[in-house]
Amino acid sequence: MRFTLHLIKQRILAIFGWTADIALFLGIVLIGGLGSSWYMVEAGSPLTTQRIGPWASWTSAARADADPYTRAHFARSGALQLSSDVARTYVATADSEGQKLLASCEYAVEGRDLQAAWWSLSAFDDRGRLISNVLHRYAFTSDTITLHADGSFLVALARDARPGNWLPTGGAGHLAVMLTVVDPRQSLQSALAVGKPETLPDIRKVACR
Amino acid sequence: MITLPNPLRFVKWRLVVAALLSVGILHILATLATPSLTAASAFARLKTELPANRMIVLDALVPEKQWLPFLSADARYAMCRFDMAKGPVSVAATLPDAGWSLALYTPQGDNFYVATGTQGQRSDLSVLLVATDDRFMGLTPEARGVPADRIASVPVAARQGLAIVRAPDRGIAFTAMTESMLKLASCALQQQ
Repeated sequence: MRFTLHLIKQRILAIFGWTADIALFLGIVLIGGLGSSWYMVEAGSPLTTQRIGPWASWTSAARADADPYTRAHFARSGALQLSSDVARTYVATADSEGQKLLASCEYAVEGRDLQAAWWSLSAFDDRGRLISNVLHRYAFTSDTITLHADGSFLVALARDARPGNWLPTGGAGHLAVMLTVVDPRQSLQSALAVGKPETLPDIRKVACR
Repeated sequence: MITLPNPLRFVKWRLVVAALLSVGILHILATLATPSLTAASAFARLKTELPANRMIVLDALVPEKQWLPFLSADARYAMCRFDMAKGPVSVAATLPDAGWSLALYTPQGDNFYVATGTQGQRSDLSVLLVATDDRFMGLTPEARGVPADRIASVPVAARQGLAIVRAPDRGIAFTAMTESMLKLASCALQQQ
């Protein structure tokens, strides 16, 4: 009788051990497999994205020979970019200090006129939606921005009106700023290739409410 | 003498190796399957909005009518959902200046053809889209003995996709010119 009880106890312990192993195995596989895939697709890695200051760009965006992470990223986001062969798109969701861009804060985007056929700077919420405002102003382009005499510019991202290049923000939550550079000239292409931080505009927090 | 227990003795190495292999396999499968499984791709979003083989000039983007996420209001757009089920499709556009572009995408978002405008130089583009399968069915102008000296024939691996003409925003003074140039863009089934 005692021996039988001992056998049953051993059998139950073995079943528990086996179940725990399977649960641990499945947990690791699901979290590790799906989690790592999600991270690589959502945030990118040095293999797929280039980071210059606060700006991130998917280096083979929209190209026919794009890697699976890039293809999955744009399929999930629903965004359509121009091929990175002719244009580069940079998105910033944080300022130059690495702090998330908040709709409740005011930012100064400062840079120099980019050496490209055409470029633009647009503001979105963190889901890529345009931010509603009374001026119906959602972007500045190399044609519509006001440059200083030395070729530099300052764009104010703020809820309330600011002098100069004011890009209105609003609502709550986070912001995303997108910089599109079409047909960059050779000098800019070289600077972007080595990731010179001064090549792209700086995003500086001015104040928060 | 005191012997410390070795924690590695309890690790089931076969299970660890199997888990790592399975993590890798699931990672690869999930990444490769994402473009086919997602219902939020740009093509899926535009499929119901755009009629087949007709170029539509979109109104200036506003938050209430933003066709795609991160589609910037820095430009005006003309879009066409091409469908080659009934034969090749011809797409034409005029790119009058720098910043203008004609881009063709597969449903997966691959930009398989792109042309950009040149500063101060007008380009009249015309491309004939032929599904890769149809090239062997004699549906291209060349195959039918018709000279196609002006039209570039672009083989496409997919039967459907998107053609997008992008006109940069140059300010209010250029709005009328931009719209008239966008209206020149066309997308239609090739007459047999």
